[in-house]
Amino acid sequence: MNLVERVQQTEFLGREFLTWLWFRSESGEGLFDLGEVGTVEVWFEGKMTLEADGEERGDKVTCTGGTRLREARFALTRGKRVTQAAVRLIKGDDEWTFSLDAPWLNLSGLKTPKVMQDAKEDADGLFYERMFLIEQPIAVVNALFSEFVRLRVSQEWEQEELPALGDWIRRGAGQGPA
Amino acid sequence: MGFFRGSVTCTRYRVAGDPPEDFRETVRERIPRYAFRRLREDSDQERAVGWVNVLDEFQIGFYGDEFFKEPYLALSFRVDTRSVPARALRQYCLEAEEEVKAREDLEHLNKKRREEIREGVRSRLLRRAIPRSATYDMAWDLQSGVVLFGSTSNRICDDFSELFYNTFDLRLNSLYPYALAYELLQEEGRDPGVLDDLQPTATAGEATA
Repeated sequence: MNLVERVQQTEFLGREFLTWLWFRSESGEGLFDLGEVGTVEVWFEGKMTLEADGEERGDKVTCTGGTRLREARFALTRGKRVTQAAVRLIKGDDEWTFSLDAPWLNLSGLKTPKVMQDAKEDADGLFYERMFLIEQPIAVVNALFSEFVRLRVSQEWEQEELPALGDWIRRGAGQGPA
Repeated sequence: MGFFRGSVTCTRYRVAGDPPEDFRETVRERIPRYAFRRLREDSDQERAVGWVNVLDEFQIGFYGDEFFKEPYLALSFRVDTRSVPARALRQYCLEAEEEVKAREDLEHLNKKRREEIREGVRSRLLRRAIPRSATYDMAWDLQSGVVLFGSTSNRICDDFSELFYNTFDLRLNSLYPYALAYELLQEEGRDPGVLDDLQPTATAGEATA
């Protein structure tokens, strides 16, 4: 199996991760305790794209934040899953925003906290400060994804997590499209 | 896309295999060999790619080992392209064809002749075109083997991977959900083969539809 086939065949992992992350964020006040990485807040805000799996693939819904996210909740009840989401991450006093995609878990449009170093006075200092600020959200996404994978391959997924996720999705049906 | 100003977009890779023992010595020679070189004004080359200093995209060539920023090896992938706008090419081709017809007293030009004229005009205009320049930063964590690259475009990522391989003789493996999950289970001493048994949990959606 080549890379593109492998990515396509396992893309559901990324979609389920983003959908699960949204569910956990909404049901847990946005808080995640990630052990060594620390406690963070993760919020789904702004633009979100959902897409159906299987034969209906390509049937997309794009919602743009605020009350429009109700449409995204409704789309979940129609079997669609999150393929791209705008995320706000808060760790301590620092805040990042970025878009996270399901096929690759790439971060795009990442806005980091303001840097303190000056490029003219200390270029290397700027390099290390920016790399630190870029690697932080990547470490958080890795830790969140690791938590998802551990759950996904465990019995707990079928017995506890999936029913809870299903309940949350069903509650979204009442929100209906705008 | 730069890592050091504005918003950042990045793709993640893991370097396949370990760098050789004399890696640090060899890269001091190999990176300058694959450094960016400007498009020559007397050529009709359309694209030039190569490495530049991650903190100065306009620095052509390297003065020392400024790419080592422990624990990273950091470089920028610079791509310069130039092209002739299609409408301008058509205009100049028509004028050139009329000139040939008048000079050689011909009523029509055959396809081969028109193609020769077109290629000559394109080559002449290309030398006058101003290149568009873009840089995409790369930071390779030499301890973890993870490479962050500042683009998600397939073409740019493919060209970057090729230059990376040519320069360092090491392949890059894309990090995507399955690969990340595989690595995680392996690190935790579990069988990553369980991933191949997973099926999409579409039942959650169907049950609620």
